[in-house]
Amino acid sequence: MLVNLHGPWSPLVGRLALPQIPYDNPLVVGAFFFSLAIAVALAVGVTSAGRWGYLWREWLTTVDHKKIGVMYILVGMVMLFRGFIDAVMIRTQQVMAVGAHSAGHLGALHGYMPPFHFDQVYSAHGAIMIFFAATPILVGLMNIVVPLQIGARDMAYPYLNAVGLWLTVAAAALVMLSLFVGDFSHAGWIGLTPLTELPYSPGVGVDYWLWSVQISSLGTTLGAINLIATIIKMRAPGMRWSRLPIFSWTSLSANIIAVTTFPVLTAALLLLTLDRYLGTHFFTAGMGGNLMLYTNLFWVWGHPEVYFLVLPAFGALSEIIPTFSGKPLFGYATMVLASFGIAGISWTTWLHHFFTMGAGPSINTFFSLATMTVGIFTGVKVFNWAFTMYRGRLRFDTPMLWAMAAVFLLLPGGLTGLMVAMVPADYQVHNSVFLVAHFHNMIAVIAFAALGAISYWFPKVFGFKLDEPLGKRVFWYWVAGSLMVFVPMYLLGFMGMTRRLDYVSHPSWLPLLVLEEVGIGLYCIAAYYQVKQLYVSVRDRHVNRVGADAWGMARSMEWMTHSPVPFYNFAVTPRVHARDEWAWRREQGLTSLHPDGFQDIHMPKNTAVPLILGGLSCALGFGLVWRIWWLSAVSLAAIMGTVIARAFEKDTDYVISAVELERLDAGHAASSPEPQTVGIVAGGGLASRQAPSSRHPGD
Amino acid sequence: MTSRTTETVEPGEIVLWDARHDSHDRIATRTFGFWLYMLSDAMIFAALFTVYAILGHNYAGGPTAAQILHPGRALIETLVVFTSVLAFGLGMSALKHGNRSAVLNWIAVAFVLGVAFVGLEIQAFAHLANHGIVPQRSAFLSAFYTIVLTHGLHMVFGLLWMAVMAVQVLRDGFTDNVVYRLLNLRIFWHFQAVIWVCVFVFIYL
Amino acid sequence: MDTRIFRTLAGCSTSLLALMLGGCSTRHFWLFHPHGPVAGTEMHIMGIDVLILLIIIVPTALLLVWFLWHYRASREHSTYAPNWSHSTAIELIVWGVPVVTVAVLGYIAFQGIREVNPYDPTVVVSRAGENPLTVDVITTDWKWLFLYPKQHIATVDRLVVPVQTPVRFKLTSATVTNSIFIPELVGQIYIMPGMRTEQSMLANRPGTYEGFSATQSGPGFTWMQFQTKALSEAGFRHWVHRTQQGSRVLTYTAFNKLARPSIDTEGKTIQYARVQPGLFDHVIEEVRDGKVFPTHWAMTEHMSRGTSN
Repeated sequence: MLVNLHGPWSPLVGRLALPQIPYDNPLVVGAFFFSLAIAVALAVGVTSAGRWGYLWREWLTTVDHKKIGVMYILVGMVMLFRGFIDAVMIRTQQVMAVGAHSAGHLGALHGYMPPFHFDQVYSAHGAIMIFFAATPILVGLMNIVVPLQIGARDMAYPYLNAVGLWLTVAAAALVMLSLFVGDFSHAGWIGLTPLTELPYSPGVGVDYWLWSVQISSLGTTLGAINLIATIIKMRAPGMRWSRLPIFSWTSLSANIIAVTTFPVLTAALLLLTLDRYLGTHFFTAGMGGNLMLYTNLFWVWGHPEVYFLVLPAFGALSEIIPTFSGKPLFGYATMVLASFGIAGISWTTWLHHFFTMGAGPSINTFFSLATMTVGIFTGVKVFNWAFTMYRGRLRFDTPMLWAMAAVFLLLPGGLTGLMVAMVPADYQVHNSVFLVAHFHNMIAVIAFAALGAISYWFPKVFGFKLDEPLGKRVFWYWVAGSLMVFVPMYLLGFMGMTRRLDYVSHPSWLPLLVLEEVGIGLYCIAAYYQVKQLYVSVRDRHVNRVGADAWGMARSMEWMTHSPVPFYNFAVTPRVHARDEWAWRREQGLTSLHPDGFQDIHMPKNTAVPLILGGLSCALGFGLVWRIWWLSAVSLAAIMGTVIARAFEKDTDYVISAVELERLDAGHAASSPEPQTVGIVAGGGLASRQAPSSRHPGD
Repeated sequence: MTSRTTETVEPGEIVLWDARHDSHDRIATRTFGFWLYMLSDAMIFAALFTVYAILGHNYAGGPTAAQILHPGRALIETLVVFTSVLAFGLGMSALKHGNRSAVLNWIAVAFVLGVAFVGLEIQAFAHLANHGIVPQRSAFLSAFYTIVLTHGLHMVFGLLWMAVMAVQVLRDGFTDNVVYRLLNLRIFWHFQAVIWVCVFVFIYL
Repeated sequence: MDTRIFRTLAGCSTSLLALMLGGCSTRHFWLFHPHGPVAGTEMHIMGIDVLILLIIIVPTALLLVWFLWHYRASREHSTYAPNWSHSTAIELIVWGVPVVTVAVLGYIAFQGIREVNPYDPTVVVSRAGENPLTVDVITTDWKWLFLYPKQHIATVDRLVVPVQTPVRFKLTSATVTNSIFIPELVGQIYIMPGMRTEQSMLANRPGTYEGFSATQSGPGFTWMQFQTKALSEAGFRHWVHRTQQGSRVLTYTAFNKLARPSIDTEGKTIQYARVQPGLFDHVIEEVRDGKVFPTHWAMTEHMSRGTSN
């Protein structure tokens, strides 16, 4: 072996040994049985409903971008829940372990988690929330909406789309496995060196983190390539760049960030992997290594990454606010400019994550200025949303509530961001809970926008609205929880509390920590109502059925499909005449969704290959984590073999004849409720019009 | 922009649906996506070159670049990779004329030269390792080994791809799928040469 | 239904806010109680920054609230302009005001960074003829070692400085990255193995201040605290003299023993009367040559009082 590994190693099972399974930790054992119970319940449910075939055909082997998007969001929500449990554990430990005389339980000196467990919990919390909750939810939203908005039938590469999804699922599975077999990283979601080098992280935790992040990042990079190609190559005829919907613009800028910066993360993780597996000296303190290099490479990816998350969130806000104001987006061109400005400048700001590393005044000044410049572009967006609402007709359905809360949260988020961008101030609050509160504030903006987007586009995908009263209750508890957790956290930052503390030595911090615990309780109530909302919405779906234009005043082209969207999206590709095509058609009275003149269309076939590749990737990751070389080699060979075998598959598409298409489309039209033509026509006043039949050349 | 953004239409002349639009140029879409992939691959190499720039003089008391790097041998490797790329390029010209046997022959030439390149590289590194000049010795050696071998690994994948393409050309001829894959492979193979030039210039010279 | 929830929540949050602010004495807000020029400057700059930003944020928030109230659909009499979506005048303002603000803040940043620059803060000035105190800091897993090269003494987990005297730190770590932070006196700088960073500070008046590492460095990180005592100049000389009378010697070997991974949960401090010269540079050299102090596998999986396992 090239490196010094603690513990036993055998060729058959690598570093796996019985002590690696935490059977004496009641929390983990409890989590295991809880997860097992859910898995068994789901399996029993699916079996008794006889739906394994349906599950396989319609979901597990699909390449349909809408279903893939739904699965992305589902994975994201499940992992959001897991990350939330981690957050509850962090908060509870911090409120219990205050003062030298606080009691200790379960092996801890204070509280109920010794550093060995606490450090894993906050590392998992961060990694899960960024890579496995926020990213999949936003990628899922972009997957569902962008092809519909541009009038395409699917993404540019449907098979690759599915591969990206299953790679993400494989990585999430690896993270969940780390809970039950071995441990997770103790070194934060960032993995700074040399703490993550082998001498200071001798267990498998950092390896789990490395491989799960690496595999999911590969999926995200492939997804970014897909989205960019889709937006550039697959727009409907007549959709000039000046007519592209704003959500698609922000998706484009976000994915340009992704395709250029994720490879830097890949390289950084690769080099750390080499240090841990082969004993190289990239980031070690000795033998010429440079530990600061890892920090730089990581944050060169890390800062653009947060803009990769925030730009689609901003795009969703730019869709929701005009719809519920009954007006077009104010300043479309400057919004697009601002999106690309944010993307471009995000490449020049990474050092602000470590002003205190000692870079010297000139360098620190440059990065401080660059960081503050992003505030200009973001500020422009806030004002443009405000002036979209100005002289509009504001309706406060659930999506609009989420959007408004997101915009309001952006104000303190931006303010505190500009505070930490001011280097002398950062010297006092770097790595404190003030910083934690700031970035959670920004994450709340993203989360609120994502939740608003989900409730906004849910009726389009599923054909019925989510229950409104419960949705509003979920919203208010989220708002209350956010205020109760993060306002005290800002104050604690000013008191001097640093982050990642498993033991809090200053009793004067206890009152605010108690308030934060109350806040987490409010989040728990929100989670309960969220589950209840989903249950009630599905139960009452026939009552809440909607037609194509689910909200009655939508503007962009995805609202021109039936709800739920047929698997082929548009029976005939629409021709685009304006920005906000659907609003334009409403104004012209051309609201019929029924095309004449159908043609044969090609659709991609389902395939089990992405699922298989996901499973093999999980096996490969597991083998590499535990240094089970035969498993790793076999999985890698199998992956390559599967990819090559797929390349020899010729039968990957099928044709839907024009006749069949017309029949399908008539079926969808018949089962939809009457289209809500609550169109607001230019000149004021409401009018309800029956759509005349569309006209075609040759009529 | 507003007057061009929104069309003004005569009622009788609106075209709302475009039934003929269904097929997009499959080959162009595939190759465009591959360029995007090459962008991401270029970024990985950019990161690795940055690492080499920063760690390239950290010898930690061990062997220095001047001591172990032989530009002459690297020049030979450069010529080998250039001729391999040239051969593949000539194969792509033959593709334009649909000349199956010429394409296969040129792919074979490119393959053999590629194998020669990889062989030369393996020989050089085996020689170093035998003398205890290993990546674990210093940061410089870690960086040097990693960047050159990453490029080498890309070459190996390219060779594997060439073999698969040869089989596909034999079995299917020049279908859309085969054509776009050959074009993508051409982009990939050229890119490996470009990266090698950067390796040669910044590391060996 | 919405307004009822809203009013309840507003009431709850106001009362909680009052509780929060009334309950805590501001004495505990270390960032607002600087006792040295570096921390003081940092606080002032933060304050100016916040004030400037509030000038933008508060009117924006009020504007948003007004729009939400005035243009809600249930209100029949507001103007509705469904085709209005562009105004050059507004664009100029919403771009121009942030640009000007950032320019102002940028200037403040440019000046401020030099004032509190860890390598040579302009606000830490020596009085004429004054010698600054040099303190070399070595962090281990998980202790603070303060070396006083001119006085040839050393302390563990306690820093003693004279008031009104510039203190110049040189910092390195024997293991992983830490950072030194004494909120009431000076902001943070990283401490990295194999490297030397610097910091400067000055304590205005006598007192005891909390210091700790603000960068996670492993299982013992939470217990990595040290007290900073600022004494009068006479008091400091007296303390130095007393420490030099002790018996403990910090040799290179003794350091290696001290630096083995251990967690001090009791807050003990150690004084060394003599230090082998060149220890600081020796530690840097050793780390550069590959020396590590590995962490035990599953360290702190079970902790019991009084043990440093």
